Amino acid sequence: MPNDELIGDLGRFAEPALLVLVSLSSGPKHGYAIMSDVASFSGTRIGPGTLYAVLARLEQRGMIAPLEADERRRPYRLTDAGAASLDAQLREMGRLMQAARLRLPHLSG
Amino acid sequence: MLAQPSAPLVRLAVRAYPREWRRRYGVEIRSLVLDRQVSWADLFDLFRGAFDARLHPHIQPRPAFAAILTRGVPIPAPTRPAYGAVPSAPLAVQTRRIFLRRMLAAGIGIVSLEFLGGTLAFLWPQIRGGLGGKIAVGTIADIGAKQPDFATGWPYSYPPARAFLINVPAAEALALGHPISMPNPTADQLLALWRKCPHLGCQVPELCDELKRFTCRCHGSTYNILGEKLKNGPATRGMDRFAVSIGADGVVVIDSSQITTGALERGPEHLVFTDPHPWDALCPY
Repeated sequence: MPNDELIGDLGRFAEPALLVLVSLSSGPKHGYAIMSDVASFSGTRIGPGTLYAVLARLEQRGMIAPLEADERRRPYRLTDAGAASLDAQLREMGRLMQAARLRLPHLSG
Repeated sequence: MLAQPSAPLVRLAVRAYPREWRRRYGVEIRSLVLDRQVSWADLFDLFRGAFDARLHPHIQPRPAFAAILTRGVPIPAPTRPAYGAVPSAPLAVQTRRIFLRRMLAAGIGIVSLEFLGGTLAFLWPQIRGGLGGKIAVGTIADIGAKQPDFATGWPYSYPPARAFLINVPAAEALALGHPISMPNPTADQLLALWRKCPHLGCQVPELCDELKRFTCRCHGSTYNILGEKLKNGPATRGMDRFAVSIGADGVVVIDSSQITTGALERGPEHLVFTDPHPWDALCPY
């Protein structure tokens, strides 16, 4: 994987991390907005503990960055590195999808 | 069973996080939990997140202001500590500690220097002027201007040296009753009598006009015009003397660091200089 060092060692947080990156790609959001957004576009419910474990890891890798807090809520934005990583992951998934469709032609409808 | 966990349970879950996490995310997490219906699954997820945070101490949330200031550029990720190794303090805490230690050391250093400097300044000898050092009185002409009778043997009192300057040949003649004029005495014709009575240290007053003697007012010790001890009074020796010299510029200098005790050393025949007045005569003052 090209971005092994960025996403590869996230373990059980790899999937929610991808969902958070997708959510932030439409603009900065605070914690609660990310959770609602992810639930609406993927149906996945991310718990608060998981969310902040993911936010801490993504921030440490420089893929997201905090903004000035609005009262008690702090929004986060996607950084250039985060956008590049998301792009690479989506390409990888696209290739996987293509391969799967080629192998199972009857599914391609 | 309750439909949702109580607030104290949620607070407990937040407090289960490491300190750095609470400092950075505590407010956000509490606000998030308040904004939505908290389920038991969420509570479990929070506890799991706290456990995970403690399990991975190398993931240290930075203070938000630092992250904002650096525009999201990550600090170099610390290498994961070996099993059993004590995780080192985060960078911000380390630099703060170093700063505080340096400030403390600098403060102690400054106070020590001040103390040392003050002690040295206090102990430094200051005998360039004043009693205990060399004191310039002035030329013979200066002295004559201030005390016109100095040439005819009258003592010249010089308070900075606490001394009487005596023109010895003229003073002897004055005391014997046939004054002479001695306008330019040499250095060895000068005598500086310390005005401290050798008995108990009172200041010896001006010369008694009638008898041409010094009589201490404290206990009546009496000295002749050359400071030699007379029979009156309890003192056991004559007045003490400072060394006197005349410099190349003609200035008379009293060296108050060189003190000779007792009477003049002029041989036994002059040990007590005699004057015409009876030994027990008292000055009328």
